[in-house]
Amino acid sequence: MEAKPEEKAEFEEAEIEYVSYGGEHHLPLIMNLVDQELSEPYSIFTYRYFVYLWPQLSFLAFHKGKCVGTVVCKMGEHRNTFRGYIAMLVVIKPYRGRGIATELVTRSIRMMMESGCEEVRLSHTFVLVTLEAEVTNKGALALYGRLGFIRAKRLFHYYLNGVDAFRLKLLFPPPRQVL
Amino acid sequence: MADKPVYGEASIDGQPSKLASIPASDTTVWADASPLLQTACAGLRDGELIHGDNFNLFAAMSALEIMDPKMDSGIVCTYYSIDEAIENGAAPVPISLDSTIDVCRTIDIMDHLLACEAAWHKGHSLAQTVFSCIYLLRLDRTAPHALLHSYCRIIRATCKAVVSVVSDARTHEEEDLFTMTYGLPLNGDGDDKCLSILNAVEETISRQLRACKATSSKRRLPEDLEPLQSNPNLEEGFCKALLCRLRFRKHFFHVLSCMKRPQGRGLESARKHIASCLTELESILKSADFLRSCFDESCEGDIDDKTTASGFEPIGFDAMLNSRLSAPTPPRAIKILSWKKAVEYFVKLLNDLDVICSYSLDPQLESLLRFVVLFQKSQPDLVARSHLQILNHVNIVEQLLLVQDGKLYGRDPFFAVINKAAALPEATKNHDIQKNESFLQLGMVIANFLNSNGVGNSSLPNKLVMNLLKILCTNSAWQRRKLGKFLQDWRVIYVQLELAFRNEYGEVSSSSNDENTCMKIFQHILLWVEEQTYWIAFRFLILGFELELYSTGEYCMVYWYLYAVLIKLAEKTHLMMAVSHDTAKRKGKKKKDSPKDLARESRIPPAVLFLQCYICLAEGLTMMLAALRNEIPVFHSPSPFNTEHEKFVQHFELLQRACIPDYVSYSSYKESTTHARFSTLAMYNYFKDAQRIAKEVKSSFSNDPERLAELRKLEQVAEHNSVAQNVICRLGALDPSLKVLFEFSHHPFFATVVVKRS
Repeated sequence: MEAKPEEKAEFEEAEIEYVSYGGEHHLPLIMNLVDQELSEPYSIFTYRYFVYLWPQLSFLAFHKGKCVGTVVCKMGEHRNTFRGYIAMLVVIKPYRGRGIATELVTRSIRMMMESGCEEVRLSHTFVLVTLEAEVTNKGALALYGRLGFIRAKRLFHYYLNGVDAFRLKLLFPPPRQVL
Repeated sequence: MADKPVYGEASIDGQPSKLASIPASDTTVWADASPLLQTACAGLRDGELIHGDNFNLFAAMSALEIMDPKMDSGIVCTYYSIDEAIENGAAPVPISLDSTIDVCRTIDIMDHLLACEAAWHKGHSLAQTVFSCIYLLRLDRTAPHALLHSYCRIIRATCKAVVSVVSDARTHEEEDLFTMTYGLPLNGDGDDKCLSILNAVEETISRQLRACKATSSKRRLPEDLEPLQSNPNLEEGFCKALLCRLRFRKHFFHVLSCMKRPQGRGLESARKHIASCLTELESILKSADFLRSCFDESCEGDIDDKTTASGFEPIGFDAMLNSRLSAPTPPRAIKILSWKKAVEYFVKLLNDLDVICSYSLDPQLESLLRFVVLFQKSQPDLVARSHLQILNHVNIVEQLLLVQDGKLYGRDPFFAVINKAAALPEATKNHDIQKNESFLQLGMVIANFLNSNGVGNSSLPNKLVMNLLKILCTNSAWQRRKLGKFLQDWRVIYVQLELAFRNEYGEVSSSSNDENTCMKIFQHILLWVEEQTYWIAFRFLILGFELELYSTGEYCMVYWYLYAVLIKLAEKTHLMMAVSHDTAKRKGKKKKDSPKDLARESRIPPAVLFLQCYICLAEGLTMMLAALRNEIPVFHSPSPFNTEHEKFVQHFELLQRACIPDYVSYSSYKESTTHARFSTLAMYNYFKDAQRIAKEVKSSFSNDPERLAELRKLEQVAEHNSVAQNVICRLGALDPSLKVLFEFSHHPFFATVVVKRS
């Protein structure tokens, strides 16, 4: 996850602009980033599945008009729990290590928490956010660890490239404790 | 989840899923939908589709974009078909008209096939590894080339044998790619003769080798024998290089056949063939120098990365030819092992198989479980694990569960297991007591209990033991998940057995001798179930370390839970040992009780002391981690969305759900760790206890090298951590720059504490 020093972009954190998914014009930007940086291939239908159903959970990070990061998520009921799922998270190399990914994920999780807590009040289910990450992706694992995710499972040869995955899970406290 | 039409203007509204469920009948009126589809097509842009309400993530993920190299497995790379590849000369027979080059390239094919085979075993598909060989795909074509033909035939037969073992063992839940043979010519006629064909070729080359040696020593050359190839200077080297390769295949095939024989009858022969395989692999490795030196031209790149001993690219392989045979999924990246790594892989596999063959077929459940766990320590791959599973099933479990002498027990596998594992009183084996009324009643209680579970007589506990063994043979990731869920089953059995027994015998406290015996048997059974349950819980927790599921911030709660489980495990183990000792004593009652025996009885058994050493280490680490968390802010970094409580709930959910152990909860964890400070840590050093116990108990295991090695490791960890604890207590509060690291350098699940100043 860490980029080499010469590849680092110079910027102030305040220059990064975060926007929620705003329509078809954002789709090629998301697709390009994911296609470049993640090992798994996704068809356009997979992207649309996420961004059309849960546009409020997908965010893009821009620096001076250039898309440098994105997060794509979904949420819904799964085995009696209310679950958020982080499907894709990408920040391009020169912009890594400056908290952009953390900010993107945090925004999505906050949105899920708001919707999820409402669900929990109605149905008394748990709220959980899950995702998979390659066991070799130290940067991502550290990032999610800081946010309170635990490594719940290891999935043998999960990815097409033969690498194992960790299934990470974040359990929210009961609603009354949520600030 | 898809609760609204998805793709805006391209979607058709309505209820297609409901319409689809209306069956056609005589009154159905059919209408031409083409105009509607044409209109829809005209309105669709790139990347849009018409779909129903039930279009979900799975459907979306199943879509493949044609001609996208990352997604389209069917994309044509070099050839459309095998025939086209052959027509284009991709796999000529003979490989070269120059006999020397032909032999050399044949050896390259053999080496690359070995690398492919290793890559297959390591988790790639058979289609894109071994069956990337065009010769293998059209084996009949190789008939005129005896050498290549015999080698390809035995490779095919070997693959088939390995697929069959893995399929039969059914330990490949997550590794099902391994047994996918769809569309591959794996079943060829006459492969049962592969050994005789190979033997004939081997015999010819042996004679050629003898002949060339005779020539060099100026002895008479047998007139009817053609040399292997045309260059007399290279004849001996080539003959030797070929012989070790052919012999390796022969012995490997024998290993697989011998291991399949029932009741472990072939294990001894298998070990001999394994030894021969290892010798041949050594010769194969040694042949590399000759193969690299026999031509003037040298290959480019690092020789260690090559898939052949000579370093040349092999002729007749195309991994893309078969990619269309794989399921409709995106193509997987194939990494064929280097030839050197492949040889190393086979050495490891053969050693793993040798361990399996060396098992003494001891029909004791406890020793079998220990053997399986020990075997898993070397992280054997699917092929080795499948062999163990087959052996367990066919040879050991059957003995353990079915072959029994007592009439009543003989028919009930559950009793058979308990009889051995739970060390039931000797009296229960007595035929007189089996005829006794209350004893028959005991049989009825168990039978009723089993029947009430709706699984037929005796199959449920039987299944529990079988399943436990089966799970222990799977890969660690899958194993941990299964063990976690499995705990619930053991707990349910325990609760139900307890209830059934209490209902039947709850009020017979002033009972006869026979009823007392029955009560004892119940207690043994319950104790045994409990001991197994805690053992599984222990294994579940420690596998988390192997799989790297715990982060440093979570070690405190993990060691605390491990401590809680170990306490119970030690308690149950101790009780079980006391029971078996009691049984054994009664057996030899007529012998005099010497004071020496009495003294021995009061001692804690070494197996329990062993567990106590674990307990001390777990407790020591818990307290040290708790003190660090409570005193140094760096160790207590709260996360924005949840607290330690939620992490506790998630990590131990399966254990908590099964009440393992009883009365253990987040609040009891908090209670025992909240007050830990450097000052309290200084008062008691658990690591010193651990070190002392490890040192003392070693002499009791002098005949058990595995436990002795484990005790040495524990001693090292305890010694290091004891020193580290002193340093932390002395400097921790004063020096905020103190850095404490937890490393698994001495032991796989007990961390060594390393203190540094930053």
